[in-house]
Amino acid sequence: MSYYEQRIPPVRDQRLQLADSFSGCAGELLECQKEGCLMRKSRSFWQTNACQMSLTLMMAATVAGSVIVMHAPGGCGAQLLAINVQSNKGRAQRGQPPAPLNWISTDLSEADVIGGGERKLEAAIAYADREFRPEIIFVVSTCAPNIIGDDVAEVVERAKSTAAAKVVGLHCPGFKSRVVASAYDAFYHGLLRDIPFEPEAWKDYVPLDPSDPRYEMEQAKENYQKAHTVNLWNATSIGYQDEDEIKRLLSALGLNTRIFAEYASLDEFRQISRAALNISMCNVHDDYMLKFLEEKYGMPYYIAGMPIGFSETRRWLGGIAARFGLEKEAARLADHEEKLAAEAIKPYLPALQGKRVLISGGVVRAGTEAAALAELGMEIIGVKAYHYDENAQPIFEELAAKLPAVHVSVSNQAFELTHQIRTLKPDLVVTHSGTHGLVAKLGAPSVQLFSADGAFFGYGGFYQLMRKIHFALGNVNYQERLAGHVRQPYKDWYWSADTYSCIKEES
Amino acid sequence: MTETPFHDKPRTSCALGGALAAISALPDVVPIIHAATGCGGNLMNSVAFGAGYLGSSYCSGASAPTSAVTETEIVFGGAERLREQIASTLKLIEGKLYLVATGCMTEMIGDDAGGAASEFAEAGEPVLAISTPSFKGDCYTGYEILLDGIFNRWLRKAGAADPRLINVFGVVPGYDPFFRGDLEEIERIGARLGLKVNTFFSPTQTFENITAAPEAALNVILSRTRCRGFAERFEEKHGVPWWATDLPVGPEATDAFIRELAAKLGIDGAERVVAAENEWYYRYFERTADSYADGELRFYSVTVTNSNYALPLNKYLYRELGWTPAEIFVTDRLEEARREDLLAGFAELPVKPRFVSGSQEIARSIDQGRPVYRGQRYFDALTPLYIVGSTLEKQMALRRGAKYLAVSFPAYDRAIVAGGYAGYRGGLRLYEDLIGSFMSAKG
Repeated sequence: MSYYEQRIPPVRDQRLQLADSFSGCAGELLECQKEGCLMRKSRSFWQTNACQMSLTLMMAATVAGSVIVMHAPGGCGAQLLAINVQSNKGRAQRGQPPAPLNWISTDLSEADVIGGGERKLEAAIAYADREFRPEIIFVVSTCAPNIIGDDVAEVVERAKSTAAAKVVGLHCPGFKSRVVASAYDAFYHGLLRDIPFEPEAWKDYVPLDPSDPRYEMEQAKENYQKAHTVNLWNATSIGYQDEDEIKRLLSALGLNTRIFAEYASLDEFRQISRAALNISMCNVHDDYMLKFLEEKYGMPYYIAGMPIGFSETRRWLGGIAARFGLEKEAARLADHEEKLAAEAIKPYLPALQGKRVLISGGVVRAGTEAAALAELGMEIIGVKAYHYDENAQPIFEELAAKLPAVHVSVSNQAFELTHQIRTLKPDLVVTHSGTHGLVAKLGAPSVQLFSADGAFFGYGGFYQLMRKIHFALGNVNYQERLAGHVRQPYKDWYWSADTYSCIKEES
Repeated sequence: MTETPFHDKPRTSCALGGALAAISALPDVVPIIHAATGCGGNLMNSVAFGAGYLGSSYCSGASAPTSAVTETEIVFGGAERLREQIASTLKLIEGKLYLVATGCMTEMIGDDAGGAASEFAEAGEPVLAISTPSFKGDCYTGYEILLDGIFNRWLRKAGAADPRLINVFGVVPGYDPFFRGDLEEIERIGARLGLKVNTFFSPTQTFENITAAPEAALNVILSRTRCRGFAERFEEKHGVPWWATDLPVGPEATDAFIRELAAKLGIDGAERVVAAENEWYYRYFERTADSYADGELRFYSVTVTNSNYALPLNKYLYRELGWTPAEIFVTDRLEEARREDLLAGFAELPVKPRFVSGSQEIARSIDQGRPVYRGQRYFDALTPLYIVGSTLEKQMALRRGAKYLAVSFPAYDRAIVAGGYAGYRGGLRLYEDLIGSFMSAKG
C-alpha cells in the first residue's frame, strides 16, 4: 500500500535516508551517507528543540477558515499563542483581515490516559464545528493518544459524516522522529487525504456547452490557461515577500502563479489540480505532496533547490522555463535582473569582503545561502544543517564542489553552535530564528537565515539580505556589551575539546 | 456555568511546562527533560513569548538538556537513554542541582526516572527526579511538584532557625508574568522590616537562598489557591509554619500585609515602614489626581486573570482607583475547596468571580444582557469599560470599544522586564500601565 493510502503518514525516518548528527565536510557527509554510517550517528548529549507537531501547527494555523483541535494533554499547543501572531502577520501581508486563531485542546487527564480519550475528542470536534463554524477542522494527534492507543484516524473518519466542516487528521506525535521536517509530510498527508483538490462544476466554473459554437475556442482557451498556470508551494519559512518576488519573475515569463498551501482556503485548494506544473521552493519541503499530485493527476513537478543568490536563481528559474520552452527568455530575464541587482548591492560589498560567516539552520537554506554569500566574497567558515535527508543531497553535492574544504555539520544543538561561535569567532552568524538571543549573548552579530517577514529570494530578496547584513555589521555594541555580562552553562573542558565530541556512532 | 471537558485556547500549559518555567528562574538549577525532543522547546517558547517576552536564561530555552526520546525508547524503554543523558549533562553543564523532569510519554511507558536519578544521587551527584507528566495537571501543578521536589525531598535542614528569615512561595514564574518584579518588591518591603527574604525566583537570588530555606521562621504563601499541600509538607519536614495570603498590590493591601507579617513574626517596626512607604507613595500619587480626576477616568472593570491575581487586582481597582467591577473571571482550574478559599477573599467586593477560561465563553458572558451601544438615545451601556486581562481579551476589547491592558498570561502585546504590580512601587506601576495604555493614543 502506498503511503498516501494509509491513514497515518510515515515519518521521514521511515521513508528517507536521514540524519541529525554529523561533523566533517560536504564530501565526507555524502560518503558517509553512501556507506550508511550517517544514519547510525547520534549524540550522548542532547538539548531540546522543536518537534514535528510544532511545525505542523505552524502550517495548519495559516489555513483560512480553520480551527485546530489538539488531541493532547494541556501543554501541547501552548505555542499556538505565538503562532497566531505570526499567522496574523502573514494574513495582513496578503491583504486578509486578522483573525483570532481558534483552537481547543482535549486536555487529556490522568483518567483519559488510562481510559482513552476518543469520546472526548469526538465531543471536542463537535464543539469546534458548532462553536466556530469553520470550513476546516484540523485534528492534531500528539504523543499521548498514540501511546495509549486512541484511534484518532477512526474518530476523524466518523466525524466527517457529522461535522459541517471538512475534518482533517494531522498525525504528528513528537516522539516518532527527532527530525522536525517530518511535519511537512504530516501536514500534506492530512490535506491530500481529506481536502478536495479538484474544481467543482457550477461552484468553481460553468461547464462548457458542446453545442455552443464557441465551444472549441473556449476549450482551447481553458487548456492554454492551464498550460501556463503553475502552483508555487510555500511552507513556514517562505514569507509573502519571497512568494511575491517569485511570482513577479514567473509572471515576467508569462506564467500565471498560484500559491499553496499556506494562507489558502478550501475554495482555493480545489484549484490545485488545474495547473501545468507544481513548483517547490525547497528540496526538503514538498516532495511528499508533489509526488502525490503527480501520481493522482499526472501533474509534473519541479524540485530544484532554492532561488537564493544570482547563480542559483538563474539556474532555478531556467529549470522552470525549460518546462515551457522559455529558456531564452529566462536567461535574458536573469541577465536583466542581475544587472540591476548587482548595481544595487555594489555599495554594500566592500564592507562584506572577507568577513567570516557561520551559517546555521534549515539544510537547504544554509547550504544555498552559504554558496551565495561565498560568491560575493564572504568567507564561509562553517555550515550547520538542522537535519539532513536524501532530498538535500543535491545541495551538498553543490557544496562539495563549490566549498569542498568548508566544515559542515548536521546539528540543531545550542551547545555546538555556542562552541563554534566561541572558538571560531565569526564576524557574522546567519542563523535560524529562535537562536539569535543565544548568538548575541556570545557577542556575535547575526542576521536571520530566513524570516517569513523578510525577503531572501530572487533579486529583490538577495538585495534585502545584503542590505540587512551590512546593517547588522554596522553596530555590534549591543552584542559586545551583552556578552560581557552573561555566563555560559558549559564546563571549561568543552572549550578546548572538539565541538562535536558528543557525536557517537551506534552499532 | 457548565465546564466543557476540553479547553478553548488554554491559558496554561502542562505540569512539565510549569516546572520548566520555574526551573529557568532558579539560579544554578539545570533541567534534564526526560521527554521527546520538542517538549522542552515548545513549552519554554510559550512562556518565553506569552509572559511579556520572558526569553530564556542560563540553561533554559534551547540550551535545556533532554533525553530526546524517540520511537525506539518508547518501544524498548528510555531509562538507558536517560542515564546516558544525566551522565553527559553532569559532564558538560555547570550546575548545583540537576532536575530530571518527566514528560507524558516517558511516564506512560513506565520509565523509572526516579530510580535513574537515585543512582546518581547515591554516587554523590546532586540529581533529583520530579514527575511532571502533562496529564497530571497544568503549569500551576507543575510549579508545586517542583517545589515539593526541591524543598520537601531534596533539601535537608542545615543550620539553626533564623527568626528574621522568611520564604516566599505561590507566585508562579512565567504564568504570573510579573513574578520577578513582584517578588523583588516583597524582598524590598521585607528588608525595610529588617527581614531576609528568600524568594528563589528573582534575579537577586542565589542557590544559597534555596539551601537556607529550611532555616526560615515563616513560609509566606502569596496565593489563596496554590501551595497549600506543599506548605503543609514543608512544615512537617522542616518545622516551618506557613501563612497563606494574597500578593499585596497597592498601598492599602500592602499596609495590611506588612502589619500582619510583622505580627506573625512578632517583630516591631511595621507602623514606621507603613508610614514612610505611604508618604512616598502619595507624594507621587497626589500629582496624578489632576489628570485622573479631571479626565473622569473611572471605569467599569472586567478582569480576566488567574486566581493569584484576581483578588489583588480587583481590590486595587475597587479600593485605590474607585472603579466599579462588572465581571471577574478566574481562568485557572481549581478544586472546589480552593474556589471556596478564593471566594472568601471577595467578601468585601461587590462582585464575585466566575470560573471560566475559554475566551469565547468569556466574551459571550460579557455580552450577555449588555448589548453594545449603537446610537440609542437612552442607553445604559457598560461604558466606560476597562478590560484588564490577557492578550486573548484584546479583540473583544477592541470590538466593545473598551480600554484594555494585558496583565495575565498570555501577555504578548507588551514587554515585561523588571516591572511588577506588588507593593507600593507596583501600585504606581499598575497606575502608569492602566492609564498609560490609552494615553499613548494622544499626540
